[in-house]
Amino acid sequence: MAFSFPDEVLEHVFSFIQSDKDRNAVSMVCKSWYEIERWCRRKVFVGNCYAVSPRMVIRRFPEFRSIELKGKPHFADFNLVPDGWGGYVFPWIEEMAGAYPWLEEIRLKRMVVTDESLELIAKSFKNFKVLVLSSCEGFSTDGLAAIAASCKNLKELDLRDCEVDDLSAHWLSHFPETYTSLVSLNISCLGSDEVSFSALERLVGRCTNLKTLRLNRAVPLDKISNILRHAPQLVEFGTGTYTADVRPDVYSDLAGAFSSCKELKSLSGFWDVVPDYLPAIYPVCSKLTSLNLSYATIQSPDLIKLVSHCPNLQRLLVLDYIEDSGLEVLASSCKDLQELRVFPSDPFGAEPNVSLTEQGLVAVSLGCPKLQSVLYFCRRMSNEALVTIARNRPNFTRFRLCIIEPKTADYLTLEPLDVGFGAIVQYCKDLKRLSLSGLLTDRVFEYIGTYAKKLEMLSVAFAGDSDLGLHHVLSGCESLRKLEIRDCPFGDKALLANAAKLETMRSLWMSSCAVSFAACKLLGQKMPRLNVEVIDERGPPDSRPENCPVDKLYIYRSIAGPRCDMPPFVWTMDEDSGLRL
Amino acid sequence: MCMELQLGLALPGSDTWSRPLLKLSLYEDINVNSKKRGFDHGYLEDEFSAASFKNYEKGLVGWPPVETWRRKKLRCQVHNHMTAAENGYCGGRASNSTYVKVKMEGVVIARKIDISIHQSFEKLTTTLMTMFDIFSHFPFIFGSVDENRRSFKLTYQDKEGDWLIAEDVPWR
Repeated sequence: MAFSFPDEVLEHVFSFIQSDKDRNAVSMVCKSWYEIERWCRRKVFVGNCYAVSPRMVIRRFPEFRSIELKGKPHFADFNLVPDGWGGYVFPWIEEMAGAYPWLEEIRLKRMVVTDESLELIAKSFKNFKVLVLSSCEGFSTDGLAAIAASCKNLKELDLRDCEVDDLSAHWLSHFPETYTSLVSLNISCLGSDEVSFSALERLVGRCTNLKTLRLNRAVPLDKISNILRHAPQLVEFGTGTYTADVRPDVYSDLAGAFSSCKELKSLSGFWDVVPDYLPAIYPVCSKLTSLNLSYATIQSPDLIKLVSHCPNLQRLLVLDYIEDSGLEVLASSCKDLQELRVFPSDPFGAEPNVSLTEQGLVAVSLGCPKLQSVLYFCRRMSNEALVTIARNRPNFTRFRLCIIEPKTADYLTLEPLDVGFGAIVQYCKDLKRLSLSGLLTDRVFEYIGTYAKKLEMLSVAFAGDSDLGLHHVLSGCESLRKLEIRDCPFGDKALLANAAKLETMRSLWMSSCAVSFAACKLLGQKMPRLNVEVIDERGPPDSRPENCPVDKLYIYRSIAGPRCDMPPFVWTMDEDSGLRL
Repeated sequence: MCMELQLGLALPGSDTWSRPLLKLSLYEDINVNSKKRGFDHGYLEDEFSAASFKNYEKGLVGWPPVETWRRKKLRCQVHNHMTAAENGYCGGRASNSTYVKVKMEGVVIARKIDISIHQSFEKLTTTLMTMFDIFSHFPFIFGSVDENRRSFKLTYQDKEGDWLIAEDVPWR
């Protein structure tokens, strides 16, 4: 005898389940749960916009309010994906505009967004509330003006790290005088002239719910005081350019303005920073949990002073000007630190310009018990240091180390860093993300395949000796979703032997490796649910011998079949390509 | 902003640099696909000993892995500290691209080179020489890389059409 709850009860229970993974699991229990779940899913996440078509999403989830889409592969951030590769959002907006007048939230990452798309969003969704564009490009201030003018209920406009064509500084004025619902505004990516100060001040003044405001570089230091006084309720604030001639009246104005912000928890910006003006933020430092100084070109002593004022810091982004000495102070002052990112101030210099070594990372790992996420650029490393770090900080979930010179050996023993990274994966049992660098043999991949059972994303560059390395990873890492590889001697064998694994992952990127065109064709032929895309700007891959390695390879699972918007330098290996062999 | 540079390479022994044997024209292409650099840099073969070349001379794309927007923002700050803003190099409306197209007389295919990843004229010249395979075109050039490089003189033609020695101007 079947026992079941009425649909309404199940729907009510499901409404407490927010995470996509859980929702997906729920939908697989049985057909009736699948049906109920699909009607009440409100947030849809599509990790690869080409894995599924807009129509398929709309058909399955008839009533979603929020969608998140990701486009280009991660390595696009580093110029490895040529312009025009794809990731266009317009087809999605077009389909949703017809089906979903009640859509409220759109979040996009690494997608091409045109003004046409923005205008269509503004026109189609009457209750539109949230637009987050992360590392997107293809639009101008005209598109932003359309959003500002039409979206009366807009709460969030976040343009983090986008490339925007500046055509007019006046797009902000398109927010009507009656518009007051803004809660979050991030325009830090806009160029010099893309903002009108008076419009900004008026907007900030009338939006009393504004909690997040990240300004762009064009906003001068002396304007900050006014803006802060209009918005003392701010929780997150990003300055513009933080430089001016040192004047006591400007300084005290600024310090006063910061003091009036009792809720401030996060600061960023600090372009062109002049150290004399830094103490103006001291009044808010004790409450700060997040500090982004990754554009602040100030030296270690000033950074140390600043960091010592922030005992509650949980997240710090900083340039390597902080040096080992600064990281030691961080380790002793900031016991709540969870995330640290140290960026290189001079990534292309041949010689180190700062005294930042593996010691800084060791100090922070020892001193900060809650540290779980690290991105660290440095110029030397040792197995000893990595083993120490792994033993002391087994709670790492994200560990990304970039030793600037490729194939750098352990500086103490001149050995590969296999053992060090091996310790990381062995001790850090919850590691979800790992980026490798330095001199590495197939051995490190054996460790990774053996121990990194929770690893979801792996980034590899200039490492390994043979296909065995790739085989260890593909056959051993059970939770692997994204694998990106560049300049490694990995070829056909491991890829073909683990073809089935690729269907359990979101995507695989391989560039400047040794995978032949013949292998790509074979893979495309044998695996219909994979899109095997060859990216090669030298010309058609079949104009060269089949055993020639392809320049770049991007493989991803898809139920939408090969895409139709490929540029001339991308070829998809589909089932038919086998016939042409 | 369109900056037109013409570089000339003069062989040793030529009395004036105004009669270059090899003329390289550099055009700052405003619409240059700064993201389409992948293959042009991959083209650079490491013909010389690895020890003499570091990443930035090999022209490794995307290494170290610092996001493009972060690089631009940091580079702009360094420039503002060092040179006047009216240079227009890194202001609001100036082209963000540091890519220049290099065309050599007699060679059909142009190459693109990112001048921002080169630290000096010597390194730029060496890279250009490798890119255009000068050593196979002129087998009578003997001696070390340094000797050969020094025998070439980089010249450029500015907006007014005057030929000037590139090295007279500071690298940045």
